[in-house]
Formats: sequence, C-alpha cells, structure tokens
Amino acid sequence: MNAAYLISLFIILVPGIASAFYYNNIGKASIASGAIVTALSLFQFFLRPSPGTFFIGNITWVFQVMVTSVYLLSAIYSTRYIRGHATGIGERTYFLLLNIFTASMLFSLEINNYGLMWVGIEATTISSALLLITEKSSTSLEAAWRYIIIVSAGVTFAFFSVVLIYYAFGSLDIYSIIHGGVTDALAARIAVSIALIGFGTKVGVFPVHTWLPDAHSEAPSPVSAMFSGVLLPVALYAMYRVYQIDPFPALYVWFGIVSIAAASIFLGYQRRYKRMFAYSTMENMNFALIGLSIGGLGIIGALLLLLSHSYGKAAAFFSSGNILRATGSREIENVTGLARSMPATGSSILLSSLAVTGTPPFGTFFGEFLILLAILALHMYSQLVIILVFLFLAFVSVNFNVSRMVFGKGGGYTETDRVMSTIALIASVIPLVIGIVFLVMVNEIL
Amino acid sequence: MTLIQTGIYLIAALVTIVAFYIQGEEFIRSMVRAQVVQSVLIAAISFIIGIIEASVDFFILGVLIIILRGFLISYFLERRIPGKSSIKYEPNVNLAYYFLLDLVFIVISVFIIFYVVFSSFRVSGVLAGTEVLVFPLALFFQGLFLIASRKSTFTQIIGYVEEENGLVLFAIFLLPVPLIIEASVFLDVLALVVITSIVVVEKQTHEKMEELKG
Repeated sequence: MNAAYLISLFIILVPGIASAFYYNNIGKASIASGAIVTALSLFQFFLRPSPGTFFIGNITWVFQVMVTSVYLLSAIYSTRYIRGHATGIGERTYFLLLNIFTASMLFSLEINNYGLMWVGIEATTISSALLLITEKSSTSLEAAWRYIIIVSAGVTFAFFSVVLIYYAFGSLDIYSIIHGGVTDALAARIAVSIALIGFGTKVGVFPVHTWLPDAHSEAPSPVSAMFSGVLLPVALYAMYRVYQIDPFPALYVWFGIVSIAAASIFLGYQRRYKRMFAYSTMENMNFALIGLSIGGLGIIGALLLLLSHSYGKAAAFFSSGNILRATGSREIENVTGLARSMPATGSSILLSSLAVTGTPPFGTFFGEFLILLAILALHMYSQLVIILVFLFLAFVSVNFNVSRMVFGKGGGYTETDRVMSTIALIASVIPLVIGIVFLVMVNEIL
Repeated sequence: MTLIQTGIYLIAALVTIVAFYIQGEEFIRSMVRAQVVQSVLIAAISFIIGIIEASVDFFILGVLIIILRGFLISYFLERRIPGKSSIKYEPNVNLAYYFLLDLVFIVISVFIIFYVVFSSFRVSGVLAGTEVLVFPLALFFQGLFLIASRKSTFTQIIGYVEEENGLVLFAIFLLPVPLIIEASVFLDVLALVVITSIVVVEKQTHEKMEELKG
C-alpha cells in the first residue's frame, strides 16, 4: 500500500471520520474535514495511485477538487444557515448526512469498478434524501419523496448497463475496459445508451429531470449548492465513464440539445428563484454532457464549465439562502432592491448569475466557448445554431430576473449573517478567477 | 426445452403473475406480502441454477435475497403501515383500469424492447438457447408502471423493489455480477427502503402541489 493509495483512501474516509464527532462539535469537525480533503485533493495532482482499486485520471482529479472544495464551502455556510432551523432532522444529523453524502460522492469518483461506482451513486441518493427535509414542510416532504423515487427508479435502470458491461467484458474494471478494445459491440452500445437515461436521471437529462427543480427548491441552500455544484457532475462523471467504452456522440449530443432547449424554455416562466437556478443547472449539465460526448476540445471545455459552474452555482444558492432568510420569500417578484439593502448578497447573486449563464470573462464562458468550437470543428452547424439560440434565451431569463431582484426599487432588508454573505461572495468570485487564470494561461501558451 | 428449463420458465412466469397480482391489489399488507413471495420465487430460481451449475455464488445470492428482500424489507414496510395493517388500503384507485393498462403497456413495451434489443443476447448455462430474459424485463417494467400509476408511498416503494427484483433476475439469467457488488446493491436498496420509511410516516399519498409547479 503506497502513499498515493493511502491519500486516495483518506480522502474518502475523512468525511466519515468527521461523522464520529456526532456528539461533540460535528459542525466544526465537518469544516475541518472539508479543509483536509480539499488540501489532499489538490496535493493529489502530484501523487496519484496507479490504476487498481482506485482510478484517478486527470478528469477524475478535477471532479474530486470540485467535490471537496464545494463541500468545504457548504460545511462552513451550513454552520450558520442551519442553526435553529433544523426542524425535520436535527443539526447533528444534518452534518452526519452531509459527510456521508460527500464520502459517497468521492467513493463514486475514485473507485475503479463500474458496479461499485453504481453503488456509490445510489448511496448518494440514500444519504442526501433526508437532507431535503431538514426544514420540514409538506412541500419539502413531497420534494424528498419525488427525489427518492424518481432518481432511484432511474439509476436502477443504469444497473442494466453494469450487467451488460460485465456480460461483454467479463470484468467491471473501469481503467482496463476503457483502455481496451470493444469485444461485444452490441452489448457495449446498449450499455452506453441505457446509461444516458439511467445516470441521466440524476444528471438532469430531459425528460427524466423532473425531480431536479423540486429537490433544489426545497432543500436547504447549502444542500442545493452541493446538489447543483457537485452531485449532478458526479453523476455526469459516472455516465461519462460508461460512455467512454463505446462513444455514441449522435445520441448523447441530441439528448443534450433537447435538454438545453427544454431547460431554457422552463427558465422563461419561473416565479421562484431557487427553481430558476435549478433549471439553469440542468442547462449547464447538458452543455457539459455535449462537451464530454464530442471529445477533444469539448472535454477541456466541459471540465472548465463544470469547475466554474460548481462554484458559481454554489454561490447562487448560498445567495438564495441569504435572501430567503432575510425576506422569507421564495418568489422572485417579492424580492427587490438587494443592491442597496443587502450589498454583499446583491453582489454575490449578480456575479453568480453572470457566471452560471456563461458571461465573459467567467470560466464558464471559456468552457462554453471551447465546447462550441469543438461542435464547429465537427461541422455540427444545425446543432450549434440551436444551442446558441437557447443559450441566449437562458441568459436573458436568468439575468433579467436577477437584475430585477438586485436593482429594483424598494427592499429594506438586512443581511442576516456576515459569514453566510462572505461565503456566497467568495464562491461567486472563484469562477471569475478561473476565467482570468485560464485567459492568462492560454495567452502564455499561445 | 428440457424439464429443468421448463421448471425455471414456470417459476419465472409465476414471478410475473405475482407482479400482476400486486398491480391489481389495493390492500397495502397484501402487496408487501406478495413482494415477499416474488422475492422467494427469485431466490428459488437462484438455488435451482446453483444446484445445476454447482455454483456457491448462486446459493449465497438466494440466501441474500431471502434475508434482505423476503424478510427485512417487508418487516420495515409492514411496521410502518398505520392503524390496523390488514385493512389499510390505497383509496381512489381504479384497479380494473390500471390492470388493463398495465397489461397493454407490458405487452407492447416488453416485446418491442426484447425483440429489438435483448433477443440477440445469448443466455449461457442451463438456460442456453431460451428466451428467458423476457421475464425480468416484464418484471422491471411492471415495477416502473406501479410507481407511475399509484399515488401511495407504500405502493411506490413496492414498485421500486419490484423493479430491482427484475434487475436481479436479469443478472441471474444473463450473467451474475460479482457477489460483492450484488450484495452492495441489496444493501443499497435496503437502506433506501429504511430511509423512505421515515418519509412514509409523514406523507402517505402524493398529489400535485402549487409550490412544485413548473
């Protein structure tokens, strides 16, 4: 057992160890756990285990950094946001589940086995379901139930893919399968197609996305941030690993386009800001799905988009949490004048909405730009035009609503907590930093 | 078709018939117990294949199915049935309508999917040369239909377990995945049922809500 292997194991175990502090400062233990796993994940870039029990390629590493850092931000934010509001499950249970939820996501990313990866993805549903009813209400119970039943039923379908992969290759080892040749073309092709709907349920692929807006709008804001920022990308990662066996871009790209179109149309008539951001996540995830499917520059674009989006969307939900606590309303039309009354939250929600809609110079813009370039290089002109039209629609819908909330007249609210608004502001600036760093790097390379 | 193959076919057909029984049932406890019967029948298939192929894995799989699906899941579900469990039923369900719709849905979906997609997969071992995969597919889609057609939390959980049963049967017939993974899948499902039983207490039926519109 070498050091690289131990680090990988430790990254999964630390959030679990933090749960051992259930009776004694579990909130602080979760923050410490978040800081440790983020540092370890960053360090792992230099020291990664050779494929065996774990398989941590460059793509896995990016996802791992995303999960650990958004977990850290959410853990800090949760200590203030949840205090006094955990009516459904207790505050300690909340942190316990948050830690197990993170550990199961990290397990899904690192494990070098399709079957166990599926188990990890299913475990994320189990561990996160009760987080939705932290602030118990009839609506949150209904949202939790829809989340459980729709996602489980969908992800179960993905297990067909696992059985077919085993049937075709006699093994479930991810690394050896994606680096070896396809032996049974039909089984591999069907496994890849089923994964689109199976894991697609969790990614937010139309028409199996229906749990997504409900769960995001009813979950506590830090949990919504985890869902949007990292849970959906982890499911996308699982889908991509199956996709790599026998790439089938035509199917994946068209499903992605239809999903972007649907999300953009739904975005047009949203009345509640958290639901609006949920549909924006659906749009971004499917854009990343297209990038991963077409390969080449598309993969770099998808990773850049996902990385920037994870912080941008986390910031959007943290800001939403601040607004909800200050105003008590989830409706867009009831919130106005944030720029004057809550400047920090007003800034963070504006920056985050610009980030998640791909405005330059945020990292998301460069990610989307690279994906569009890759689409152009493949001469997919009709697909490009459709995507551009719906991206514009989504951009206008989100930014118009957020601008009304930020710059409208009235207001008179006050920031409820300085830590919460600071975390939201920090998260909203990260996509900007990613964009600038990318610009400098590209400039240096060129 | 050999005698053994015929026997397995009959049990698999019985599994599908039990699924139809669940679809036509409105009493919660009866549905939970029918799911137990279904799981035991799947375990029986696993034991028979285990004996013929002299494979310990199939035996362990059968035992796991009986313990986790046949006993623990039904125990957790029955415990959560409020009031006098034997008379608790799902109200306002047009059973005859859904039963017929289920029949049409299964016949169309399963046969199209089986003949277009799965018929070219070769089942090996004792069931070689048969089209036995049609049964797990029918079970899987019946589970999905049960979830979609009913509003009671209990019924939807049973639909989910039934869907999982279809998957287990599919793996048994085609090629069982390694036992460690199968066991993890079973534990996942069990944990999910335990978690959902917490929601069950609070919310037993599911209707449209204004807050979750759009």
